[in-house]
Amino acid sequence: MRRLTNINPVSLVESVERLDADGPRAAVIGGGSDLLGMLKDDLTPAEVLVNLKGLRERGSLDLVETEAGGIRVGGLVTLTQLSTHPLVAAQYRVLAEAAGSAATPQIRNVGTVAGNICQRPWCWYFRQHFPCYKHGGNRCFSRVGENEFNAIFGGGPSYIVHPSDTAPALMALGASFRIVGPGSERVVPASDFFTLPRVDVSRENILEPNEVLADIHVPSASGLRSTYAKLLDRAAWTHAVISVALALEMDGDVVRRVGVVLGGVAPIPWRPDAVEELLTGQRVTAALAAEAGRLAVDGARPLSKNGYKVTLTENLVRNTLQSLASEV
Amino acid sequence: MMRRSVILPCLMMKSLGPYESKSFSISVYDGRMDSVSRRAFLKSNVAVAAATTLPRARVSAAAQGPDRPPPPAPQTTITLAVNGERLTVEVEERWTLVELLRDHLQLTGTKVGCDRGECGACTVHLDGIPVYSCSQLAVWANGCEVTTVEGLADGDQLDPLQQAFIDGDGPQCGFCTSGQLMSAKAVVMANPNPTEDEVRQGMTGNICRCSNYNRYVAAVMARPPGRASRLDPLDTVGMSYPRVDARERVTGQAHYTGDVTVPEMLYARVLRSPHPHARITRVDTTRAREMPGVHVVLTREQCDITWSSGDTHNPRYLFNNPVRFVGDPVAAVAAIDRHTAEEAIETIDVDYELLDFVLDQEEALSSGAIAIQPGGNLSPRRDGERLPEIYQRGDLDIGFAASDVVVEETYVSKHHNNAQMEPRSALAQWAGNELTLWSPTQGISNTRRDMARDLDLLPEQVRVICQYMGGGFGNKNQSQDSDLIAAVLAREAGRPVKLELTRKEDFLGVHGRWPTTQHYKIGASRDGTLQAVQLRGYSGMGPHRKSSGRIAGIELFRCPNVRREVSPVYTNMSVAANFRGPAHPQGVWGIESVMDQLAHELAIDPLDFHLHNLTREYNDETPYTSWALRECITEGAERFDWSTRWRQPSGRTDRVTRGVGMAIGMFPAGLGRSSAVLRLEQGRLWLHIGVTDIGTATKTAMTQLAAEAMGMDFADVTVVWGDTDRCPYSVGESGSRTTTHTGHAIVEAAKDLKRQIASLNGSVGDQPLIAQATPEPTIEGVARYASAAHFVEIEVDTELGRINVGQYLAMHESGRIINPLTAESQIKGGVTMGIGMALHEELIYDRATGVPVNPGYYGAKVMTHLDAPEIEVHFIEPIDTFGPYSAKNVGEPAVIPVVAAIGNAFFNATGRRIKELPMTRTRVVEALA
Repeated sequence: MRRLTNINPVSLVESVERLDADGPRAAVIGGGSDLLGMLKDDLTPAEVLVNLKGLRERGSLDLVETEAGGIRVGGLVTLTQLSTHPLVAAQYRVLAEAAGSAATPQIRNVGTVAGNICQRPWCWYFRQHFPCYKHGGNRCFSRVGENEFNAIFGGGPSYIVHPSDTAPALMALGASFRIVGPGSERVVPASDFFTLPRVDVSRENILEPNEVLADIHVPSASGLRSTYAKLLDRAAWTHAVISVALALEMDGDVVRRVGVVLGGVAPIPWRPDAVEELLTGQRVTAALAAEAGRLAVDGARPLSKNGYKVTLTENLVRNTLQSLASEV
Repeated sequence: MMRRSVILPCLMMKSLGPYESKSFSISVYDGRMDSVSRRAFLKSNVAVAAATTLPRARVSAAAQGPDRPPPPAPQTTITLAVNGERLTVEVEERWTLVELLRDHLQLTGTKVGCDRGECGACTVHLDGIPVYSCSQLAVWANGCEVTTVEGLADGDQLDPLQQAFIDGDGPQCGFCTSGQLMSAKAVVMANPNPTEDEVRQGMTGNICRCSNYNRYVAAVMARPPGRASRLDPLDTVGMSYPRVDARERVTGQAHYTGDVTVPEMLYARVLRSPHPHARITRVDTTRAREMPGVHVVLTREQCDITWSSGDTHNPRYLFNNPVRFVGDPVAAVAAIDRHTAEEAIETIDVDYELLDFVLDQEEALSSGAIAIQPGGNLSPRRDGERLPEIYQRGDLDIGFAASDVVVEETYVSKHHNNAQMEPRSALAQWAGNELTLWSPTQGISNTRRDMARDLDLLPEQVRVICQYMGGGFGNKNQSQDSDLIAAVLAREAGRPVKLELTRKEDFLGVHGRWPTTQHYKIGASRDGTLQAVQLRGYSGMGPHRKSSGRIAGIELFRCPNVRREVSPVYTNMSVAANFRGPAHPQGVWGIESVMDQLAHELAIDPLDFHLHNLTREYNDETPYTSWALRECITEGAERFDWSTRWRQPSGRTDRVTRGVGMAIGMFPAGLGRSSAVLRLEQGRLWLHIGVTDIGTATKTAMTQLAAEAMGMDFADVTVVWGDTDRCPYSVGESGSRTTTHTGHAIVEAAKDLKRQIASLNGSVGDQPLIAQATPEPTIEGVARYASAAHFVEIEVDTELGRINVGQYLAMHESGRIINPLTAESQIKGGVTMGIGMALHEELIYDRATGVPVNPGYYGAKVMTHLDAPEIEVHFIEPIDTFGPYSAKNVGEPAVIPVVAAIGNAFFNATGRRIKELPMTRTRVVEALA
């Protein structure tokens, strides 16, 4: 491992000032699991680690609290905390299930929700340090290579898939993110947070190098039922082959409000708008669910080896919708 | 178990003078160093003068880096509590927590399996919660409480979980055990009465490549193990004893190679080729050699030593030019610490001239393919002829003419990695021209022989020590290049050198199972009688021939007209060689699939088809010493209720459809010459055997055999193992044969010892009595095989493309079972490993660049707790006229029928076949499309 300097800032303000001062040499640490692996594999240039584990206001950044119009989830809340939090499990099931489905207990015990949202791609070409777009190169090796796990939507020029489980859940719940930078603060809807490669191939989200995803507002889920369905290749410790985050507000068997976001299919958490439009105000029947499944993969552009994801996505959307809608 | 700890003089000495006695010694060395001297060493930073008179044949010294410390990395002082002890330590800010624990606090019970948060061997509790200590920096633990496996027991009082792991046979190789314990502890801390699902969920971040998941979960659930065998036990043989070394394995006191530290030790790293095939035109090591703290830099220019067991046909140098696979060693460095070695490696500049490469075994024989070795890509036969290996009997033309139904299909299996939990490592220490090598090996004697041969030494000048090793499954059979690289670096440096491969290096640079392409054409007459079996197969060996490349399986069936033609082929993939049942799981998958298809086309129940066409006790040529394959099939079918559960495949496409499958396997019970020395002294029997325990409970089984043979209590026998200076010759722990070869030696030596006792008329006195035997077990005109029949029910989610394994029944015949507890663990683990091979394991190559894209536990998707179903095991125990107490072989047969049974169950469920491994969601969806 390269020579590292670990900084323990006392405040968020100091943290972003350090990030600002050190530029690309600096990286922010929440749980650290993934970043350490990337450092060992030389996948990031970071030399200065701005460690948020010791922040004085950690007390608020690692809490889930109720606040006006919903809950506030601190960026340093661990995936274990999130998945076992009684309020989250009861009212925001999709989020608890998503957090609990990530990686392994050991990683969830330290991994933070902000880190999960902001993690770098797990495309094996990126992780094996192929000189791809994400490493400043000028091609995407998965486009014609071993692309079984790559994107069927939104690809080009890079075909990574976004690896986060919590991100689709938060988008389905209509969450917004508070971003803190040096002397600045902005709140953006989760839907606007992620960046397609055709916009900027070097990044996966809008965070500037000197910014931190501080916390998350999730609007009230009153009346919502939700779930996260994730397909894995082995039963644990892989990222989603595909996943569906689904939140429904039902009036009897009629859909009043719906959030559908797909994971593992696109370089960002992928919202099939047409499905949401189709479902709103409709009675969920087998035929409607089937149509939702079909619409979910409308416009999919599979690569040479990932056509199966189209089939899986259609079926998973349909099945998840049917079972969630019929829950009593 | 009673053990004496005797610290070796050579390890206690500050200087490195030659130790005197190389004679066969009868004290016990437990792999531990005196902790005081180790700590003292850590604080002193004094370089000790190099030992002199080192042989330097064939190696010219590289310019050595100045012997001064590297510039300091950023450091800080932290305070933390480790196992209740408050410590203030100065740490480099880049140190991981596990690095602090292992390298600097000597708490080596915590293991490093991957160093990437992908395996769980390094799990510790940080403020009471389990974390991967490889994925946390030591500085982040400032102010925290850390609990490691060493902190679980209260003095001599084991934690109840540790005791449960001992009683329930949790550890096989034991390398993952500390991590399993820490996760299990967290589960029961959260809920003293967890459900089985909670246990599996809580432990699923801990991989066990021996795949002893059933045992671990049962131990946490406090569910006592049952009994899979049925013969009444003898006095000791046939009894379920916990492993003799289980306590060491559950307390972190089992010392593996990486845990051993000697004074003045340097750390090594290897630079490896990033290209599958390239000529090196220039290597510039100037910057590395000039780096402070760097002692030796070696490349092909300085070192043209060959690694003889790395290729049985062509010279394989330690550093090759051209490089022929991604991971081929290019250079090696020995430096003052692991970070300096790594930094030095990164400064080496290499120019490569890229060459064409070929990955596929069949394509490698096409006319346009580049020759990877001189003479072409078809690896020659033993007689030197460049022809496929051919077995033939009868006449295929006659056979197919007599066939009413013919099946012609192709099956493709993939390279998948042994992925044993302990990465390859070596510690080499020279004293004069004598070498001591700590190495995780499956054969200390083989490794000594190989090292001596490759270093121009006499075997007596090499001592190999392997007290504990974390699995190998065939890839640690002989010496490894890591052993040689460490030895050569140590010789050049005049200081001991430790080399620990990274997990990625282990995936690329060691080896996995050879991929195959199997073209079958088989035929049967309408009455279901096999008439012709033809196999044309290709095995991808990588660029070196380390093993046979056979494709086994057709011998399972009786057929008058057979032709098997198999070509072992050089490719530019990683080297492939032995992996549990080497030629079998992939071959049996192929042949059992086509047989299943043939039975289907004949509208015959595959069970009946098997019984009708099964190889017989007189396997065309030779009778077996004992044989119960037929009983395995019939009894297994009965227990599984095959006759009511099997239905012709309907081809239904229900959302979830079920199917059952069966497959069989046989594995030769290998022979080999080994010795045993028995020493009876003051009522205690010391058993000296040159074995290592690779996780199979060899030491325990051998203790049982010795106790039985001598009529003594199990507790009165102490085994001495894993050290060529303290143990006699052993042929090695491969081919599932230790119980036979070493067991025979024990039984023969016991006869002698009992004769000696008898001649003393029972008054043995204080005089030690010593007996030894080196029988050469041979069998002429008979064959020895273990047999297995597996039955499985699977569930196929046709919409989501997933195979879920339900009930799994493994029926085995392995002669008499010496230790039912540990033998059953072997079968459970082997089956579970086979499920991974069937469903998701593969080393995947980018076809355009020839670079593997998923070398590691995350990418290669080995089985986890949540993947492992409960495996039901039964043993049939016939009397084997040959083995000691009728014992035969256990370890390898377990994995053989698994892939085939699952594949056939998939056909039964869906009416489709998957003809390329592994059976991932992609392939399930494609097969059902």
